[in-house]
Amino acid sequence: MTTSVGRRWATLPLITPAIALQSLFFFLPLIMILIVSFTYRDTFFFSPVYTLDNYVKMFRIYRIDFQNTFFLAGMAGLIDIIIGYPFAYILLRKVTRFADVFRAILIIPLFGELYIAYGLLYLILPGGPVSRLLDTLGISPLDVLYSAPMAIFGMSLYTLPFVVYNIGISLQGIDRSYEEAARCLGASRLKTFLRVTLPLSLPGIITGWLTSFGWNLGTLAIPVLLGGPILGTRVLSNQIWTTSLVTSDFGMGAAIGVMVVAITMVVFYVVVKFSRGVLI
Amino acid sequence: MGRGMYERLSSILSYLYLILVCTAILLPLSITLYRAIVVYNPDGSITISFQSYTMISEAFWDKVLVNVSISLLTVAIDVAIAVPAAYALVKYELKAKRLIFTYLNGVWYVPGISYGLALVLSYYFVYKFLLGFWGFVVAYSTGFMLLALLTAIVAFRNLDPVYEEAARCLGAGRLKTFFKVTLPLVGPGITAGVVLILVLSLNEFITALLLSGPTRVKTAPLQVFSDIRHAGIQPFVAAEATVLQLVSLAIVILYLKFFGTKYLRGAIMI
Repeated sequence: MTTSVGRRWATLPLITPAIALQSLFFFLPLIMILIVSFTYRDTFFFSPVYTLDNYVKMFRIYRIDFQNTFFLAGMAGLIDIIIGYPFAYILLRKVTRFADVFRAILIIPLFGELYIAYGLLYLILPGGPVSRLLDTLGISPLDVLYSAPMAIFGMSLYTLPFVVYNIGISLQGIDRSYEEAARCLGASRLKTFLRVTLPLSLPGIITGWLTSFGWNLGTLAIPVLLGGPILGTRVLSNQIWTTSLVTSDFGMGAAIGVMVVAITMVVFYVVVKFSRGVLI
Repeated sequence: MGRGMYERLSSILSYLYLILVCTAILLPLSITLYRAIVVYNPDGSITISFQSYTMISEAFWDKVLVNVSISLLTVAIDVAIAVPAAYALVKYELKAKRLIFTYLNGVWYVPGISYGLALVLSYYFVYKFLLGFWGFVVAYSTGFMLLALLTAIVAFRNLDPVYEEAARCLGAGRLKTFFKVTLPLVGPGITAGVVLILVLSLNEFITALLLSGPTRVKTAPLQVFSDIRHAGIQPFVAAEATVLQLVSLAIVILYLKFFGTKYLRGAIMI
């Protein structure tokens, strides 16, 4: 693979622009948000007043937001595992025809959470296609629409591709001879799956769940549009946006932002430790 | 029940399951399209009409144009920066290769909402000249660079060095070898990165939401978001929501038609 060890100097002009771009517009802004998170309200813009208050108050004022966000993102990840595991398994082991069509469809959620939120919003709004069905069943569409399950459903659609990817990578890494050995020694299909395949693909399940969780921590359109006026607005992403840019409490907004970064950093550190894939 | 029968049934159920999940994935897009083009007449009949697209305001199309310009510039910058970096990472022995790779990918692991706020703060204090259109270009270029980097790394890794060595042995210079041999061979892989960046930057929402206030630039997804909040589910909003989705879909389908899924596997596909 390595063609010319001695030409190490040649790599410098090739790789410097990339490092510079990330340093200037990713790491420096990250340091800024960290500094601002230790200042009182918007004082950073005039004469910074440094304080730890934001972090002290954060968990008291925004406890519900932390709870809601963790609950929604956690449940969405769980549903992704339940739906995504069979999907990845079938796609890799059972299906030969049209496999690329199914792969291609998995790209669509990458178009963004906003469109998922909108599509589901119309689906069950009064006068929409499903509301008539719900009416005949005696369920009020509004009860279904503005609720946690709907937001969780939207989030799980959004992150399903990442979960399928993680589980798929882990399934691909399993040496099939282990399964064949189990079968030869008399284990049933089910037993082989439960005792051999499933434990060996456990890293994929863990990384899949964490990836889904990490991505959903930052979703905004889905909880705000589908979660309803109470649950939907009280998620961390919405609080970061409104406290910082709407009510100008940059200190607190930054502090929540830093906390979200810290949580996702821990989450993805674990993911990278377990994962064999390059991208999550 | 015979063995063949079991296999058959299991195969049918497998396909049914995949189709069911794919239907759920396609549901939001198809229901939005349905809202945009299906009209309920007062007499109870249903007609299909594209009138809702004519009701989209001029301002929205302007924002689509802004969006497309931002995305194209982002792609150009990312390819120009990431492809050489990927080449260096694959072809040369580097100290701390792993560390550099992690450093370049870090932005992917930070949620858009926090990254957006961090960028806004840095634009206010350090990069005042970026408070505008270029603020978006820089934000997207930084945020999506790793997609170009990863796909290029996969492409360079899959490249058999034999071709380059042959060209060198036959007397081609380093530069000529790169442009005549290496680049044509890794082209489809790099195109995969281009497609991913295009699709993601055309539809980016969260980072744009935070950047739009300070930069006074509004992209198409933001217009869709504010129209959803103000005009609800009216057909023209649905029409707006489908515009960039259909463009993205067309880009993805075109790419897959030419190059298949080969170059996307290992990056975002299994």
